[in-house]
Amino acid sequence: MAKITLTMRSSITVPLEAEVITPDGLAGKSEEEIKSLTVYHGNREMKLGDFFDVSVEGSGDPASTEIIMKGDLTRVKRIGEGMTAGSIVIEGSCDMHCGALMRGGKITVKGDADAWAGREMRGGELVIEGNAGNYLGAGYRGEMTGMRGGKITVEGDAGDYIGEHMAGGEILVKGNVGILPGLSMTGGRIIIEGSATMPGGEMTKGEIIVKGEVYDMLPGFRFEGEEEIEGKRFRKHTGDLAVRGVGKGVLLLG
Amino acid sequence: MATETVTDVICPLCGSLCDDIEVIVEAGRITNVKKACPLGKSKIMGHGRIRAPMVREGGELREVSYDVAIERSAEILSDAKRPLLYGWSSLICEAQRKGVELAEEIGALIDNTASVCHGPTVIGVQGKGSPGCTLGEVKNRADLVVFWGCNPAEAHPRHRARYSHAAKGFFRPGGKKDRKVYVVDVRETKTAKVADEFIRVEPGYDYMVFSALRTILAGHEDVVPDTVGGVEKSKLIEMVDAMKSCEFGIIFGGMGLTHSRGRYKNLENVISLVDELNAHTKFTLMPMRGHYNVTGSGHTFAWLTGYPFAVDFSRGYAWYNPGETAANDVLLRGEVDAMMAIAADPGAHFPGESLRHMAKIPLIQIDPYPNPTTELADVVIPSAISGVEVAGTAYRMDGVPIRTRKIVDTDYLSDEEILERILTRVRELRR
Amino acid sequence: MGILIKNGVVYDPAQGIYGEKMDISIDGDKIVEDVSSPERVIDAEGRLVVPGGVELHSHIAGGKVNAGRIMRPEDGRKGRAPRGRLTRACSGFSILNTFSTGYTYARMGYTTTFEAAMPPLLARHTHEEFEDMPITDKGALVLLDNNWMTMEYVKAGDLDRLAAYVSWMFGATKAYGIKIVNPGGVEAWGWGKNCSINDPVPHFDVTPKEIIRALAKVNEELKLPHSIHIHCNDLGHPGNFETTLETYEAVKDITASSDRQVMHATHTQFHAYGGSSWKDFESKADAIADYVNKNDHITIDLGAVMFCDTTTMTADGPMEYSLHTLSRRKWSNHDVELETGSGIIPVAYSPKVPVNAIQWAVGIELALLIEDPWKVVLTTDHPNGCPFTFYPEIIALLMSKPKREEMLKGVSDAVGRRALIATIDRELTWGEIITMTRSAPAKILGLSESKGTLRVGADADVAIYDIMPESFDPAKGYREIEEKLMRTFYTVKGGEVVVKDGEIVATPPGRTYWVNPVGERAHAMREEMLKDLEAKFDAYYTVSMANYPVQDEYLSHPLEIRAG
Repeated sequence: MAKITLTMRSSITVPLEAEVITPDGLAGKSEEEIKSLTVYHGNREMKLGDFFDVSVEGSGDPASTEIIMKGDLTRVKRIGEGMTAGSIVIEGSCDMHCGALMRGGKITVKGDADAWAGREMRGGELVIEGNAGNYLGAGYRGEMTGMRGGKITVEGDAGDYIGEHMAGGEILVKGNVGILPGLSMTGGRIIIEGSATMPGGEMTKGEIIVKGEVYDMLPGFRFEGEEEIEGKRFRKHTGDLAVRGVGKGVLLLG
Repeated sequence: MATETVTDVICPLCGSLCDDIEVIVEAGRITNVKKACPLGKSKIMGHGRIRAPMVREGGELREVSYDVAIERSAEILSDAKRPLLYGWSSLICEAQRKGVELAEEIGALIDNTASVCHGPTVIGVQGKGSPGCTLGEVKNRADLVVFWGCNPAEAHPRHRARYSHAAKGFFRPGGKKDRKVYVVDVRETKTAKVADEFIRVEPGYDYMVFSALRTILAGHEDVVPDTVGGVEKSKLIEMVDAMKSCEFGIIFGGMGLTHSRGRYKNLENVISLVDELNAHTKFTLMPMRGHYNVTGSGHTFAWLTGYPFAVDFSRGYAWYNPGETAANDVLLRGEVDAMMAIAADPGAHFPGESLRHMAKIPLIQIDPYPNPTTELADVVIPSAISGVEVAGTAYRMDGVPIRTRKIVDTDYLSDEEILERILTRVRELRR
Repeated sequence: MGILIKNGVVYDPAQGIYGEKMDISIDGDKIVEDVSSPERVIDAEGRLVVPGGVELHSHIAGGKVNAGRIMRPEDGRKGRAPRGRLTRACSGFSILNTFSTGYTYARMGYTTTFEAAMPPLLARHTHEEFEDMPITDKGALVLLDNNWMTMEYVKAGDLDRLAAYVSWMFGATKAYGIKIVNPGGVEAWGWGKNCSINDPVPHFDVTPKEIIRALAKVNEELKLPHSIHIHCNDLGHPGNFETTLETYEAVKDITASSDRQVMHATHTQFHAYGGSSWKDFESKADAIADYVNKNDHITIDLGAVMFCDTTTMTADGPMEYSLHTLSRRKWSNHDVELETGSGIIPVAYSPKVPVNAIQWAVGIELALLIEDPWKVVLTTDHPNGCPFTFYPEIIALLMSKPKREEMLKGVSDAVGRRALIATIDRELTWGEIITMTRSAPAKILGLSESKGTLRVGADADVAIYDIMPESFDPAKGYREIEEKLMRTFYTVKGGEVVVKDGEIVATPPGRTYWVNPVGERAHAMREEMLKDLEAKFDAYYTVSMANYPVQDEYLSHPLEIRAG
């Protein structure tokens, strides 16, 4: 077991790109080695130690490594990008692309996560205890596939276009979401406990469950009757038939 | 006094890039402009210019030499950690290419005005593609023209006559008589008043109307509600029939789509509609681009960097992700620590929060004309007017490149020369 | 002054040199007999020394390529590299930015690259991109077949004015050769339709075959260095090999104006299919190869497919739409008034998909079944079959049966039933590979004096690969071929070392070839033709004729070839 604590010394406005902060990137390294890892601050190449105090307790492989991040991380991007194992606990809010391309392990964000959290995620677990921004679990510009596997849980609200091009895995949002959740979804499942606007646009497969209010139901869904899930009744729709009539996604509205 | 008429002049105003303008020059000065629309005429005739380079000292802009202004600009840019180079749409490609070189050199974000106009169209294209054509295809073949969220009668005054609504073409010798024109908008515009059909959509409901049209086209009109976005279903069915049964259709998409709810998703949806119509007939789509060479800035950026706007060179390579790397994304977050505004007026078009940040950081302006951005600028460098005083390439809204003409001489430096000098000086300072 | 490359094992098929240990001397930008006191001596120590590669068909610059870049940021992010001391930032896997295109070709030992399809109205765009594409010499083939002027002259049987028009267009667009793409079919696509080789073009009432024959005749009358360069009708359709053979046969009676083919048929892989549907789709590479083996008026290039996620782009708009309806990812199209069109879609070729696997087989089979390497050029129709960066692996496949056997294990078993590749034993030699990548394309383009050879007087374009041909077994060492052909030991372009140990060390601008037809035939009916053309501009084009021709400013390093 290893516990690595990274404490951001002060607040910054120019964001820091720190995709090196993963259990895979830090496991087995000494404090000095970690401090000398490269991070990018605007157009400058810097060292992780220029921004963070680092402490390492114990040692282990990535799977047995836990990274604790403290301080003002609201301008630190790409934490946990591509991680395959181990865990990261962010004690506060973080910037964009947290857990992007993640394949395994667990990230817990105690505060909010900005846009593109869990982008193109393939496995593992991302828990955001505050709110998530736009494009949660979505794809990159121009890609046809977003999240493929793993699970994202948001305790608060999430922004627009969550789960865009989602192909697998699960997103659970306990609060409300913005417009067009599950857009162009081809698989996986999105559960929204609060409200949503225009859910399921161009979805062809997969499932979206909205337990709260739905604003502006899209016109290409067919009402299929009521369905009971865990003792609660839902109105089941399939679509989006706007997609050449082939949309077979399932939209369950509470 | 010698009077000369320069013909086939390209108008450096809007994306229609009319190239049949006549300019009367007397003693090296432009005295009249013929065939242009009033907007274009005013641009070519010119108006109050920035007299000389200026640098702000003690809150006041003071006139300095080009050398001093360029030196100051180079210092600002070479010191910056997160510089932003913004604008690039009302100038020629030669200057845009130099701008990208500067951005790479200093690890800057470079963005063009698409990010506040048709950027959503471009992102839509990245999702769904771009089924388009040149304007001559519309002129020669189109029998159905849809203006959706755009108002060429006021924003692109000669577009309808030269290319679309009334243009006489090979297969449409009757011009207006041979084609049907729809306007879809949230209000009855001047263009709507001259169209054959006007369909009013509730603001923010374009996405849903496209979805309804696609659902009807796919043969599932039974699930479509009686009205969608304020449009009656019967009207939508009629429209689908008209689109399916034309020989060559086109939708011109405007800022009504890019700046309403859903933004680029509206574009993705309409692109798919057009795509799916091609199973029945020939159908195309074209964005009504604003600045005369905003299309060119997308092209030059793309062949140089791989991406059409919102390009971040901070890590040496190009990273593109509008929402993260577009001008207002970084200004609203207060990330930018130095900015250049060239051939654009963010001072008039950016949100207040962005302007408040621009006021706090060193701002360099390169432009022939003073505008609200000048009020915020710390260095102001006047440039020659591309397409009037400097020749160079511009791309029309349909991607047709045309070489703009130099009509009169000037003592002002061209944008390209200014950028080259800044770049040279930046390289020296960084060495 | 100059460079001496000594102790190389030289392959220069144009001179009949196949693996001779010899020195190559360079003075200025030319190959010379010897150089007395060389500024630089490169000791090749037995490495493979060959002429710089000649790419005769690649989509690298212009409106359609750039539309591909704009449409596919997801492709852009795949090939990214930061700027270096000498190099600009790079992006793209299948659609590289202009800098990466120049650097990557040079690193692979290619020094001449031709853009395969330039729409006349957008010619300026192609030339602008060339200006930002370092190192290689370039040229562009101009699309003239779906052109209204062309079709009207063909309909009227007026080859005099057609010759005048073609020659004017070469000057106006700064073109190198005539490109034909799905003749008639792209005009028909203006109405959402398509044409096969004998279908009358809607309204214009000419057949594709008539267009092809007329342009072939005019091409020879104007004595253009290259022949017509054709993308046949029916690209990609099951059973299209018959159209392909009929296209070849259509120009058999036409005499070439110089020692070369009458027709160069491009990306033949996409035109060599049997069957009547995707279900019984099969390779007809044998039928195509048989024709090419028996006839000398045709040369081809491969358009080989390799398995990857690439981008297809062509002036063949209807074909791209039809392909799009199969994959439904995203689709761009750009019809160009009075002239041509284009389409672009992403395509992922998968070894498990029977049709894709057979396509892969067809490309390799063509190279192995055509006996004379001077008749077949290695291309991938970049990026249509795959990016040009797959050349080393394709060469490994051609030189090594074990490599083919290894790859066959991972592809759909449809290849065993409906393709021939598994039955072919031939392994190409270095001499054949160098012919197919240098000497043959140079000759086919009409550039054999200056390109694709190390003959005295030729351009000093040389590639040295870190392979010792005298002690190397390509059949066994295929992995080494894949690695070593990706990055040269040295690339010399125009007498300047541009790559050393696989790294770019200089980035000179390349030159742009264009052909100026100056003969009697080009000018006899020019005045009459111009009247017709002016009428077209007045009534139907949306730019004025005065603003149409590409100005000299767009070719900062022009290389004019006067023809006729």
